[in-house]
Amino acid sequence: MVVKIHNNTFDLHKSGAIFWQEQSMLLIADVHLGKVAHFRKHGAAIPAHVAHENLERLTNTVDEFRPKNICFLGDLFHSKLNTEWEDFASWTQYTNAQIILVNGNHDVIPKYLFKDLGVQIEDELIIDSFLLTHHPTKRDAFFNFCGHIHPGVRMQGLGRQTMKFACFFKTKNQLIFPAFGNFTGKYILEPTKDDEIFVLVDGEVVSVS
Amino acid sequence: MKNSQLTSIADSWFETKGWKPFPFQKKTWNAFLDGKNGLLNAPTGSGKTYALWTPIVLQYIKDNPDYKTKHTKGIKAIWITPLRALSVEIKQAAQRFADDLETGMTVGIRTGDTSQSERAKQKKNMPDLLITTPESLMLLLASKGYDKIFKTLTAVVVDEWHELLGSKRGVQMELALSRLKTVSPQMRIWGISATIGNLEQAQDVLLGASNDNSLSAVKDNEIKDFEGSANSILIKANLKKKIVVKSIIPKKMETFPWRGHLGLHLLDQIIPILNKSKTTIIFTNTRSQCEIWFQKILEKYPEFAGEIAMHHGSINKETRLWVEQAIRNESLKAVVATSSLDLGVDFAPVETIIQIGGPKGIAKFLQRAGRSNHRPGEPSVIHFLPTHAMELIEASALKKAVKGEVMEDRIPYLLSFDVLIQYLVTLAVSDGFFPKKIFPEIKATFCFQGITEEQWQWCLNFITLGSQSLQAYDEYKRVLVDDDGRFYVDSRQTAMMHRLSIGTIVSDAMVQVKYVSGGFIGTIEEFFIGKMKPGDTFVFAGRTLELVRLRNMAAQVRRSSKKTRNIVSFMGGRMALSSQMSEILRNELQSEADHKRNTPELKALSDIFDRQELESIVPGNNEFLIETFKTREGYHNVFYPFEGRFVHMAMGGLLAYRISLLSPITFSLAYNDYGFELLSDQPLDIQNVIDNNLFSTEYLFDDLQKSLNSTELARRKFRDIAVISGMVFTGYPSKQIKTKHLQSNSQLLFDVFRDYEPDNLLYQQAFRETFEHEMEEGRLQLALERIAKQTIVWKQCEDATPFSFPIITDRLREKLSSEKLKDRIKRMTLKLMK
Repeated sequence: MVVKIHNNTFDLHKSGAIFWQEQSMLLIADVHLGKVAHFRKHGAAIPAHVAHENLERLTNTVDEFRPKNICFLGDLFHSKLNTEWEDFASWTQYTNAQIILVNGNHDVIPKYLFKDLGVQIEDELIIDSFLLTHHPTKRDAFFNFCGHIHPGVRMQGLGRQTMKFACFFKTKNQLIFPAFGNFTGKYILEPTKDDEIFVLVDGEVVSVS
Repeated sequence: MKNSQLTSIADSWFETKGWKPFPFQKKTWNAFLDGKNGLLNAPTGSGKTYALWTPIVLQYIKDNPDYKTKHTKGIKAIWITPLRALSVEIKQAAQRFADDLETGMTVGIRTGDTSQSERAKQKKNMPDLLITTPESLMLLLASKGYDKIFKTLTAVVVDEWHELLGSKRGVQMELALSRLKTVSPQMRIWGISATIGNLEQAQDVLLGASNDNSLSAVKDNEIKDFEGSANSILIKANLKKKIVVKSIIPKKMETFPWRGHLGLHLLDQIIPILNKSKTTIIFTNTRSQCEIWFQKILEKYPEFAGEIAMHHGSINKETRLWVEQAIRNESLKAVVATSSLDLGVDFAPVETIIQIGGPKGIAKFLQRAGRSNHRPGEPSVIHFLPTHAMELIEASALKKAVKGEVMEDRIPYLLSFDVLIQYLVTLAVSDGFFPKKIFPEIKATFCFQGITEEQWQWCLNFITLGSQSLQAYDEYKRVLVDDDGRFYVDSRQTAMMHRLSIGTIVSDAMVQVKYVSGGFIGTIEEFFIGKMKPGDTFVFAGRTLELVRLRNMAAQVRRSSKKTRNIVSFMGGRMALSSQMSEILRNELQSEADHKRNTPELKALSDIFDRQELESIVPGNNEFLIETFKTREGYHNVFYPFEGRFVHMAMGGLLAYRISLLSPITFSLAYNDYGFELLSDQPLDIQNVIDNNLFSTEYLFDDLQKSLNSTELARRKFRDIAVISGMVFTGYPSKQIKTKHLQSNSQLLFDVFRDYEPDNLLYQQAFRETFEHEMEEGRLQLALERIAKQTIVWKQCEDATPFSFPIITDRLREKLSSEKLKDRIKRMTLKLMK
């Protein structure tokens, strides 16, 4: 699914990532790496391979676009350092792209550890008329890409049918990313009729507005 | 001293009080003194406390002949009660007897409400009798040196065992007893139960399975030889009490609604009843209904202000105790309550009971009726208030049931791995455990008599590895194993989180409601408060409150003067007709199909039955009715087995699944106690359903399992399981701990297990429990066999019929689909902001 914003071209991907063609930049929000390990460390037996799958999807998505840059819109790591950091570290060596992390509220891992891996850390990023943040942010004349919310919408039909889907939530000057991580929930939003909604369904991105 | 000498001490005490012991009391004393275990079947208010506390004291006298001058330290007995509210009453009775006999014995209470300092004091120096709850007993097993504390026990009495039996707290109790049997060699186990259908089984569950399987497992181990059921007795009090059931029949039947569960239409008709009696308890089926009734009575009859009160499980303890006290000293005219007042406490001044809405079970109805009028010889009076027209049939059926003394079973849980895991971590937290020693104890319980070596190993792996194989770089940490093979917990945080979670077996995902300025109002379910934004108002505990903020599982609120219709609602508490009730109900319908109309309730319903027969029929015993019609919601297909909600849930899912195999289709399912609906956005050919023999009992188990996979039922069961087994941290209502980065919900976990580890025993348990406890698979089979013998009557109607109306308007629904999501989404629209 391709969307034009401010004359730039964005590929909305089934994984919840967006590829920005003009910048060759892959945008990804709320991966929450290390969440599974964090739970396990505290005695909650979440299947360990849930974590592996998260990184595997990340790799597959990157391989598909081969971007020059990868920008994480916050909450890359769920909590403090744990064994999943090692996996992430080897992944950064494997990929050729420049990696940027826009800090989110969950990102508590010391910045120097990221810098040692060559990851660039920012509180926000401005590219042309685009403002990249973790928390939804309004600023005049800018279009905001952000995460944090883990948006979802409810669909309804005849026969009292309702379903919930994770989605890209686009308003006039903002696009909120779905959470990329597989062990994250979603928060149901109620759009207005001016909003554009793209849901993730059966491995596809479908426009429903 | 001989037993007869001992019991004569008690006899003379009874005499000084001007009482005479009942035969069942004396029988219990003697059985206890003979060293027997047992189950006492006696109703509330019958003197059951003295039936069992007396011989405990007598045994002490026997063991300590100079008891009047020298007190022997150490705990003698534990008295388990399911409700904290009951403990005070038991303490008073027990202490009085111990004091009058100059034994110097002490009685203490230990529940969630007991202060830290009091608990510490108790641990150092246990009272002779400890009154406690299953959870608090578990917490004692989670403390170091518990074996020394309990060594001196002569008895454990489990009060209101019928209440615990069909719940996971019952499993907790079974496990605790399995440990105590080993550490307390003198201990006898006694249960007290109201009348239920399966009393013998209740006794087996309490005392443990003594079958061959467990014996062979026990053989080569050092477990103490506990004779369990073999040396036990069932004593029935046989105190009959006359119960009078009166239906409140609407004065104007034309305006009485076809659906609904509140019953407010008849509010005016209960006022004369309230005025006539000293104190009335108004029983509702859910806490939300309780809130609403309280609110509405005051709105319409402000003169009752200060004279009526409300009592349910989510209101804070002080208020509840105050209400209970106020009932006792006759300062209240009426109390609106839920099952929180079902049990125990004797309220002598209560003269009348009003039951709002179908009680769904006969045992529950009788128990509630029994709350009134404890004067011997006089009948208990209970008024039944129907909430919609169809419930009048239930009222008529109830009367017959009370006459026939039909009783339901309480179904015990089997193989509750979540509770087992919690228990194993409990033992690891205290002194640690050796699996070899514990396994035979567990295998000897009723719940785990069928556990296999593999399942046992699975549980051990789960608490030590967090999976079934060792993983590289894994940091999983809960239970460790030392060089001797002892399983133990080393981290203080793990231990603390575990202790806090033990109490959560009864309440999951509860949020505290507090004033911003401080002051605790009560607890409500997270799902309700989760839907609200700061500034929204709601009614709870009889007050209008505004949500200020939600923080750390606490909702901070302030009083609001705004008007709101948003009254707190609770998920739990929907009950289903028991099979016994269902059968009586079907017989009532048969008499209606014959147009007998021979009871006041059925007479009142004449108009509605006539209306039903306009387009459809009132099905008799040999007919199975199916109605179809179209409204703007879609195509309704309504089926009427009259088997109770749970069976309909299973049958609805089964049928929807089988139909969905014929062609891609999506259903929304609703059910009540009379029937179920399959609602679709496309028409359904009922002839096709009949021709394909979709009600067949062939492949029943298989199809049912598959239908369960496609609906959300098991997902709901999983909530409890995830909390009890310690995978979801909820903290504990009174103590919030920092778990910010550990918050997840059971829904997310359910998905993760479905996608990544479907063979997980806890995940599978959710399905098994839905089967055994929600669907009552056995009943489904019988129901289908019955339908096979009936004539199917398919009525294509123009409009909704009176029978269908309560079902099709139910909002709590399941869904089942065999269509691709992508195809479904094409016909759907976004839910937009209003």
